[in-house]
Amino acid sequence: MTGLRIRWTVLLTLLSVLAAAGGVALSAEASLDELGRSQLRPSAFAELLGPITESGRVGWDCAPEHAAVARTARAAGLPTDRR
Amino acid sequence: MRFRTAAGALALAATLIGTAVAQSYPAATDVPHTTDVARLRAQAIEREIHERFKRGLDAEARADWTAAVPEFERIIALDPAEPKGSTARYDLAIARARSGDYPAAQRLLDEALARDPGFTAAAANLVSVGVLAGDIAAARRAADRFVALAPASARARYERGIVALRGGDLATAQADFRALAAGDPAYAVAYYDLALIEIRAAHFDAAELELDRALAIDPGYARARFALATVFVRAGRRSEARAAFDRAARDASDVTLRSLALDLRDRL
Repeated sequence: MTGLRIRWTVLLTLLSVLAAAGGVALSAEASLDELGRSQLRPSAFAELLGPITESGRVGWDCAPEHAAVARTARAAGLPTDRR
Repeated sequence: MRFRTAAGALALAATLIGTAVAQSYPAATDVPHTTDVARLRAQAIEREIHERFKRGLDAEARADWTAAVPEFERIIALDPAEPKGSTARYDLAIARARSGDYPAAQRLLDEALARDPGFTAAAANLVSVGVLAGDIAAARRAADRFVALAPASARARYERGIVALRGGDLATAQADFRALAAGDPAYAVAYYDLALIEIRAAHFDAAELELDRALAIDPGYARARFALATVFVRAGRRSEARAAFDRAARDASDVTLRSLALDLRDRL
């Protein structure tokens, strides 16, 4: 009877340890996941467009106006800082 | 004798041609001088505006915002016709924004747009100034206006997408980045931002697809690689996550990103 009780105690202890270890592992995984995701930020804001000369907007022929309506990221001067 | 006559005739012809050339004048132009007081005053104002634009732009090129401000303020006080009036407000707004006076910059850009509603560079900078001011609501209003003014503009879509994403409007952000990617499929950043939207919506498979697209365009895109690693962590794909964090650390030029990627790799 005493031997059976000891076996049950050992078994329950082992189960508790395993459960705790599993919980710690899951918790570590979750915190890792949260930590990683918390660092995910949208890409940078676009910079201000530059100044325009006195005659720059006659015929809309100036770099800032071209950048403002450009259809590609490069022509629009959008952020490329990806690293 | 004949030779002398011929030479004389040639000399006479040359003289006549030369005279004809010398006497040919261009078309009539405005008389350069006037004694009319009103006109003299208008010319003086024009000269001053011209000179102040030059000085203000030179100052902005040197990032000397303090020197630029009075030049453009004076132009505005002289009240030139369009497009100079709105251009002076736009240039002054840049100097104000760079000096940290965002409310003044916003007001000037609003005035520039009131004078010229088609001034897209002013619409674009109004978004940026709202962002610099930390006023996401104002930036969003400006971004909506910019997109309405130039719906095919990559910058309009990008700016509103970022503002909407930071403001939590995932549907608008997604629509804008989709439009941006459709217009410029080689812009990897658009796919990265689309992936962030999917991650926030807990659509991890879709996020992985977008990140794969970004990395197919630019394999050295460290932030996208880092984001992909977090998607792998989430899915329990530890070895892939470890490899992705490792590659992100190697590709990152940003020290913070690199050390974080190394830290997370080592915890796996």
